Amino acid sequence: MPGTESTAATSAEHPNSGLLQICREAALSTRAELDQLLSSQIPGYTSEDTSLVVFGSLARGEWTRGSDLDWTYLIDGGANSDHLLIAQRIQRLLEENEAKFRPPSPTGTFGNMAFSHDIIHQIGGQNDTNKNTTQRILLLLESCAIGKRTDAYDRVILGVINRYLDEDNHPLTPDSKRYRVPRFLLNDIVRFWRTMAVDFASKQRDRAGKGWGLRNAKLRMSRKLIFASGLLVCFSANLDPDLQTKISTDKQDGIKLTLVQHIRDYVRLTPLEILAKSMDRYGVPQLIAKDLFGAYTEFLKVLSDEKSRAALENLRSGDSREDPTFREIRRISGIFERALDHIFFENKQIAPLTRKYGVF
Amino acid sequence: MRCIGFSTGALARNDFGKALQMLAGKNVSAVELSALRQGELVPLVEQLDHLDLSPFKYVSFHAPSAMERSFESVAVELLLQVAARKWPIVVHPNAMYNPSEWRRLGNCLCIENMDKRKPIGQTAKHLAEIFETVPDASFCFDIGHARQVDPTMSEASAILHRFRDRIRQLHVSEVNTQSKHDPLSFESILAFHKVSHLVPADVPVILESRVEESEINGEILSALNALSADNLLALTGD
Repeated sequence: MPGTESTAATSAEHPNSGLLQICREAALSTRAELDQLLSSQIPGYTSEDTSLVVFGSLARGEWTRGSDLDWTYLIDGGANSDHLLIAQRIQRLLEENEAKFRPPSPTGTFGNMAFSHDIIHQIGGQNDTNKNTTQRILLLLESCAIGKRTDAYDRVILGVINRYLDEDNHPLTPDSKRYRVPRFLLNDIVRFWRTMAVDFASKQRDRAGKGWGLRNAKLRMSRKLIFASGLLVCFSANLDPDLQTKISTDKQDGIKLTLVQHIRDYVRLTPLEILAKSMDRYGVPQLIAKDLFGAYTEFLKVLSDEKSRAALENLRSGDSREDPTFREIRRISGIFERALDHIFFENKQIAPLTRKYGVF
Repeated sequence: MRCIGFSTGALARNDFGKALQMLAGKNVSAVELSALRQGELVPLVEQLDHLDLSPFKYVSFHAPSAMERSFESVAVELLLQVAARKWPIVVHPNAMYNPSEWRRLGNCLCIENMDKRKPIGQTAKHLAEIFETVPDASFCFDIGHARQVDPTMSEASAILHRFRDRIRQLHVSEVNTQSKHDPLSFESILAFHKVSHLVPADVPVILESRVEESEINGEILSALNALSADNLLALTGD
């Protein structure tokens, strides 16, 4: 398929070459089309207190023809009964244009309203539901606000990062020379990954095996990518040399704010960009980068192909070992995982942090 | 169609000449000449004879939103020149130290309801107290201020019920939490729909939304939509 070859010379160039570049441009133009549609039918659909946020492949810059549009109407302001009306109007408009904007998954994590108070305050504890955790982590790691007004979205992202760092009493190592890995954030990202993996089994049961193949493929690739990028964001607090030069012993507040800004800057990147940046920064060999981005490109190639995507959507677990499309996914995800293994277990800078924070 | 236009201060802050240029050729029939800061009053009054206001059926004037006590009598003297043209003069109640001075403007004095920042003038009760001190004054209903004070629009409804007959003009925009005037969002349009049936149809509308020139016509359409009683979703306060 044209566009699948990468000629990248550094890791940072990979997301901007070949099919990855094509999907990225498709995501950008789809976001613009979405804004245009909403602006023409619902002028001023966002406000100081509300943002329309998209997740999934549209936010990651991996938009393919069969991608779903995962969205939520994010509210960070006073309670207002009109918010539901607006969310419903957005929903109706998207349904009227479902040929272009496919509806989200039926579990209801997206395609609805989300409230900043739950997302920021309910981290852990009895009221931190699956939906809340998912929205929070995806807001950080794979989200994008649509339209000109992004005030609410920007505030909530900062609010979430602040909340995670508020719980870490000692942001610096004992010698005050480096930032520590933000453990509360890291643990939530790890929890999110494990939750997705457990939910995979739960969904298989709930939906009587329907959609197993596609969900499995996503778990092996795009979901795992989010997890890996989240770990790297956390590790960067300790490893990023530029960040360490900004450590000031003046005030505790300044130390925290610098880290907040660092994490905010990182999560502005897409997961693939975070991987690429980290691989360059920590000296991961080009061969590994080529394998990782090559495998991901092949994954998107499968999803871009209508027949292959349909085959995965219709595939049930029992048939997976014989199914040629799924065998291809297994091969691709094997390469992807070996590349991740190299980054997280063999790289001299990252491996010690994986050992220290990854499991126990 | 409603008589509708913009405040010069919204389009070009303290450059009324530029704002009038931005409005040239647009579908507007009203304008509010804005001297929101004390220092802008003298230059604007001095220029009144030289401005081409022929495209506008309705012209109003916005007095400084705050001023030093020592400037109050100077301001009123200058504003008497504006009143001589029979233009409504929009005044913030907190800018009036001595109501008897302002009574000299007669029914050209046009009191505006306030946003959250101001110490007085937000509610129907406050406004009633103010109108007792300036009984001939008319009323500039700022629907954006009213929504900022009470997003349910209940207070807006109370104000409209009580002072509908005094209304001389409307101010329309979305007023954000910092009390800045933003373009209308769908959220504010839905809120304005709730009281649109209470807003007299013949009252001129002045938009205070800070927009680029290319956005003027779109903002006018949004405002007309917001004030159209045809779009009423649910009555507030009736």
